[in-house]
Amino acid sequence: SGELYCSLPNPRNVRFESINMKNVLHWSAPEGTGDGVLYKVKYAVYGVGKWIRKAECQNINRTWCDLSSETSDYEEQYYASVKAFLNGACSDWMETTRFNPLTDTKIDPPMVSVSSTDKSISIILTTPEKWKRSPEEESVSLLQVYPGLQYNVSVLNKKTKKRWFFSISNNTLVVPWLEPGTAYCVSAQIHVTTPLLDSGFSKERCIATLKDK
Amino acid sequence: GDAFLPAPQSILILSTNMKRFLTWSPVFVQGATVRYSAEFQAKYERAYANGRWIPISECSFTTATMCNIRDDISDTVAYRLRVRAELGATRSLWGTMKGFFDRITTSLTPPLLRVLAEGHHLLVELADMGPAFKFRLLYWKKEQQNNVQQKVMREVSSVVHLDSMEAGAEYCVKAQTHVEAINRSSSFSLTQCVRAQGDTSMSL
Amino acid sequence: TAGDKISRSGACRVSLSMAEIRAGFTAVKANIQSRDPIRTLSILSHPHSLHKVKSSDRCCLTHHLFTFYVDKVFKQCRTKDSFVNRKISSIANSFLSARRKLGQCGEQNNCVCGEESTEKFKQILANYEGLNVTSAAMKSLGELDILLDWME
Repeated sequence: SGELYCSLPNPRNVRFESINMKNVLHWSAPEGTGDGVLYKVKYAVYGVGKWIRKAECQNINRTWCDLSSETSDYEEQYYASVKAFLNGACSDWMETTRFNPLTDTKIDPPMVSVSSTDKSISIILTTPEKWKRSPEEESVSLLQVYPGLQYNVSVLNKKTKKRWFFSISNNTLVVPWLEPGTAYCVSAQIHVTTPLLDSGFSKERCIATLKDK
Repeated sequence: GDAFLPAPQSILILSTNMKRFLTWSPVFVQGATVRYSAEFQAKYERAYANGRWIPISECSFTTATMCNIRDDISDTVAYRLRVRAELGATRSLWGTMKGFFDRITTSLTPPLLRVLAEGHHLLVELADMGPAFKFRLLYWKKEQQNNVQQKVMREVSSVVHLDSMEAGAEYCVKAQTHVEAINRSSSFSLTQCVRAQGDTSMSL
Repeated sequence: TAGDKISRSGACRVSLSMAEIRAGFTAVKANIQSRDPIRTLSILSHPHSLHKVKSSDRCCLTHHLFTFYVDKVFKQCRTKDSFVNRKISSIANSFLSARRKLGQCGEQNNCVCGEESTEKFKQILANYEGLNVTSAAMKSLGELDILLDWME
């Protein structure tokens, strides 16, 4: 179709927001345009000669578009672009910066499961999985994507209010010699050295050691 | 006419624990405030960029005679450094440091270590020294001097669990820093010993 | 995050301050990549990806690429921004040091240049020479994370 008259203000702050390599394009509506604005989205693999329109994100009125499927190969890098339309006018295409899924994603904290005996607690950490197209698709742990991945584990004694930190490479930790009948709260973080990626700390999971027999 | 400004002299780098302070002797001009700027030139610039000099922003237009070169003295290559004085539009000649600086020459001091015993748990606190540092900890039961355990830790800024201890036993710990970028370690800290619960816990 | 990494390139293991190089590049990545308007061409990753190179050829290709960046790229990347220039100098000197170490190792461990790495490097040079020098150098510098990702 012939190009419309492009005098509409541009979409703003066009960027990828990525968590565990679920890569969603976000943007803000053009300044001062109110309702009724529609958008088109296209993307390109960096270094490959063509822009590809994202079929599910043509003439949409929302300000996000999930490009996880199109950007799932983390050995590639990508650009995406958005154009706004309103009442016969349109904006320019507005591009993201170059997106590198490997370094530009954020990682969720690990899942923490705890069990206890009277004198110890056992902690098992599960690294989040990389985004996948469908539940049937084979799961890829972020551990496979970032082999140097480590965990920082915080253990808080609720009675003494003292917090200890453990730095571990494997995903299990047993803390022995604890006080019976005492509540301990555990939280864990993922740490990747290069590229430098740290998750936040997980929500605290609390458990009490069994009372002395 | 423009006052003649002598070039700064006695240009030195003092480097401890990967921190680098460039220092030089002041240039005195009666009743005026002299400022200074510094630049560096590394091996790449000498070999591939026609000896280009690069300004050090944290040492530009300063009235001090010392500045902390925070980063960008990278890998183990030889750096040259120079400083000049500035007064209004007048510039002195560059004063150039004698010889080269290579960060491998930094002096490394033992880490600040605090050892704690909480119940049966051996814990340590280490003062953070920056991202370039790892900490190597050696610990052993006091009566088993030849059974020494080792743990290597990254940057730490809180109480870190080292190991659990047998009831009533006394354990000793010492630590050194290691900087992988220059593959060197500090000397060890003083040894500290604590006793596990099951007896009166005390720090010697 | 003292992430000094041993980069294994075939028979050679080179201690390289990967974390430092990455930190330096990350600090100027947006600035450098914004100077490269060409989306549809890549120096390093197309038409053939570095990730497809056999491990036996890694050592030779890594050495070629260090030489490529040291000899051709960094010197053409001078900007008006002294912060960017400083980071480029830091990376360049780390590459210079790494190339020396890899070169020494290569001599002892016959860092073999197979047909694949020779072909791949020819392709990279062809991509580079397909652009004017400054554009090619700035694009190559903007692709440093592609090289670092591959080396890790």
